Formats: sequence, structure tokens, C-alpha cells
Amino acid sequence: MPTITFITAEGKQHAVTAEIGRSVMEIALEKSIPGVVAECNGSAACATCHCYFDPAFTEAIGPVGEHESDMLDFTAAPRRPESRLSCQVRVVDTLDGMTVRIPAMQ
Amino acid sequence: MAHAVPVVSDIAVSDLLADPYPIYKRLREMAPAVYVDSARLALVTRFDDIMAIERDSETFASSNPGSLVNKVMGHTMMRKDGEAHAMERRAVEISFRPGTIKNHWAAQFEATSDRLIADIESQGAADLFDTLAAPMASLALIELLGLKDVSWQTLACWSQALMDGAGNYSGDPEISARATEAAAGVDAAIDAVIAWHRENPNPAVLSSMVNAENPMNIEQIRANIKVIIGGGLNEPRDSILSLTLGLLSNPAQRAEVMANPDLGPLAFEEAIRWISPIGMYPRRVTRDVELSGVELRAGDQIGLCVGAANRDDRRFDNPDSFDLFRPKQPHLAFGAGPHFCAGAWVARQMVGRIVVPMLFSRLKNLRLRPDAPARIHGWVFRGPVSLPVAWDI
Ligand code: FES
Repeated sequence: MPTITFITAEGKQHAVTAEIGRSVMEIALEKSIPGVVAECNGSAACATCHCYFDPAFTEAIGPVGEHESDMLDFTAAPRRPESRLSCQVRVVDTLDGMTVRIPAMQ
Repeated sequence: MAHAVPVVSDIAVSDLLADPYPIYKRLREMAPAVYVDSARLALVTRFDDIMAIERDSETFASSNPGSLVNKVMGHTMMRKDGEAHAMERRAVEISFRPGTIKNHWAAQFEATSDRLIADIESQGAADLFDTLAAPMASLALIELLGLKDVSWQTLACWSQALMDGAGNYSGDPEISARATEAAAGVDAAIDAVIAWHRENPNPAVLSSMVNAENPMNIEQIRANIKVIIGGGLNEPRDSILSLTLGLLSNPAQRAEVMANPDLGPLAFEEAIRWISPIGMYPRRVTRDVELSGVELRAGDQIGLCVGAANRDDRRFDNPDSFDLFRPKQPHLAFGAGPHFCAGAWVARQMVGRIVVPMLFSRLKNLRLRPDAPARIHGWVFRGPVSLPVAWDI
């Protein structure tokens, strides 16, 4: 199983093994990583699972969907090129070693 | 060891309607779930418990074979789970996307709000319930849905009749008859425009439904339009009034919002935490399960009191006060989980960015009237039912 490292807004690192097929948001909740709120539990409706994903993995993660992109314009913390809704990113083998930064606000 | 759900029999529905908050406080302190005789539901009132329930829709289902909503409106997405729910939700989502709202709906909401305020501007006093909040919410919903030739009063009547029908637990025949009549009115209004929407794709909900990747059939359209009418009118209406009331009652916060309109959305979130327009909604327990130490049984009906959770003092300091500067953290006014309010972004834009800021900037020295205090009512749905104000002309 790939290892993903969450970095909280305060800079604390949490390296976790992530089950393939789950969303990164689900992994964060399961491992009680603080800062991922996920009010809509993965329906891409709330934009409170916003995270900054390691740019080196952009290709492995896959493209931003149209609806997701729309939501990302309304995140509480500023949108950056590496912004994604973590509920829309599925864990795959090739994400091993990726870091995910959690913004200060959701 | 887990305990059985305690039962209380000394709470009258009229007490809940008048002011549910002291009751919620008592229930919150008593147990994670308390069966309230008069409501015929086990009420869940703590923030963390509701959040946990909404993350497990297999154990706590929205679908409910005996639901009155199904009887009155048909089989709506509000009472479906899993993929069946997700597919219907996707079919309407595009109309409610923040981008669609900003680029398309915002200008229409602004025009409507401008017209309604212009109508009262010279009067110096009004009740904002029927001069602004109710027509605004209704007219916005007519546009959003894509209905034509329906007056705001008619839509408001349909909405009320459908909701009354869905809550008609005593089976009052008059309420049933009015709900049936409203349902027929909605069906006819849909029939009048559906072909047009099929041929002219546009951002309205009816157009999204027929032109989606998985288009809805006519039964699905009828049921879901009804649930949006029943559930989509009073929330923006009530939140316009609660936000206005919150700001008028707290002059310092009002001054800050007027100086910095970007605080509008924050103030809106606080208003719906403070007085959540949807105070309670039901779920059905599908298997025996323990909830923070109490035993729930398969088949139990539970009521998630988000209005209570949003004033849970484990979560919010001074929960009963309106304070838009409280530390930002999630509330449950839009629900949580797969049924998270589809209209959340519409409401944020319409109420927090357009209507309320426009009201305060246009009506000078807007103030409450000590001789005619605001009245707030309800628990399942709660909001001001009268908000008399005055201003300088
Ligand atoms: S959990 Fe709501 S958008 Fe991801």
C-alpha cells in the first residue's frame, strides 16, 4: 500500500499507509488527520476537503474535473495550481511517497 | 455498557415550536439520543454524534418506506441513498454550481432584490417577511427551477402546502387535500415548460434534469421539483431574516459588515448557525447499533437536531449569541454527508452577498421597532415569521 504524508497547517507531518481505491479525504478522516473537514463526505459539494497536492504527482493524480474546478474557486484558503478536493483524488499505487498539505482554513 | 434510549414525556410540541433551545440543552445533557414522546422520534442533539451519523448512511438511511414525503411528493432524492441518490443529485448539480451561480444567477438575484427594495424604499417601515424575504426567496426559486407564468405567491403556497403534507402525521384530510392540489399545480407547471427546456438547454434546474448525462424521467422530475419547492423556499427566506435580525441586534458587528462587505458571507454562516432554518431532519436506523453509549435498534426513527448541534456548548462558546467573529469552524445548518444541501452556494451568494448587504446599504439607519418586536417560530423549520423594521426616508 502506498504511503502518503499529510502536513498540517502547523507543519506537523503524518505519514500513513493508504488503502488503494479510497479517496485521500477518506484516508485523512480515518487516520484522524486534523484540518480536513469534509462536510459533504465526498460529494464534491462543500469544498471543505481542500488540500495542496505535491506537484510532482500531478500526472499520477489525474486531471481536475469541471465540477471540482468550479468548487475550488470557492475554497476558504486560496486556490493554488496544486489545489484539489481531496475527496476527488483516489489512492493508486503510483501515489507512493506523495505529500499532501492541509490549508489553515476550510 | 450501552444504555437504552431514555424517554421523556413532559415536552409539548408547542414548547418546541415556541423556543426549542432550552429543551435541546436539556436533551443534550441527558443522553446522545432521547425519545421525545410528543415528537415520536429519538432526538439526537450533539454535534459530534450528528456528524458521525451523517458519515454512515448505510446504518442511518435517508430512505424510508413509510415516509410521508414519498406519499406527498413521490420518490425524491431526499429519501434515497447511495448510487440512486448520487445519480439524481448529479443531474441537478450543474444548476447549483458556484460558478453557474456567480456567472448566471447572481445578476438575476440582484435585479430581483433591487426591485423589491425599490418597492418599499419610500415607505420608511415594513415587515421584511412579506415585503422582502418571502418574495425574494420565491422569485429566485422560480428562476432557478425554470418555471414560467407562476407568481411568487402561488409558489409560496405550493411550498407550504407540500411541507404541511409531508409533516401531516395526524392524517388531517384538509392538509392532505391541499397538498394533493399543490402537487397537481406543480405537475401542470412542469408540463407547461418541459419541452422548452429540452430544446433550449440553459442553467435552470429543469433544463439540467432533462439534459443531464443520465436524464431524469418524468416521475423523477416531478418528485424532485416538488422536494426542491418544499425545501428550497423557506431556508433562504428565513436566513435573510435571521441574518438581518442578527445584525440589527448587534450594532458593532453591523458596522463592521457595512464597512467591509466581504464579511457578508461570514455573517451569513453565523446567522444559519444561530437560527438554523432546518432545525431537524429524520433518519432511519437500519441495524442495531451503539451511538456514543446508547443502544439504537434497527427500525428506530431518529431526528437529527442540527439546530441543537449548532448550539452545542461542547463545540461553540456562548452558543446562543450571534457573533460573526467567533472562531471559524464548521456548523451543521446545511446538514452533512451525501445529502449536504445542494443549494448551499445559492444561499451563500443570494443572502450573504446580495440581498442583505443591499438592504443595509439602501435603507438608511435601518432599525428594529421596539413597539413591534420580531417573532421567531418553529423547530423542524425555524425562523422569524415577522420582522418589523423602520428606516429614515
Ligand atoms: S468532502 Fe465535500 S467537497 Fe470533498
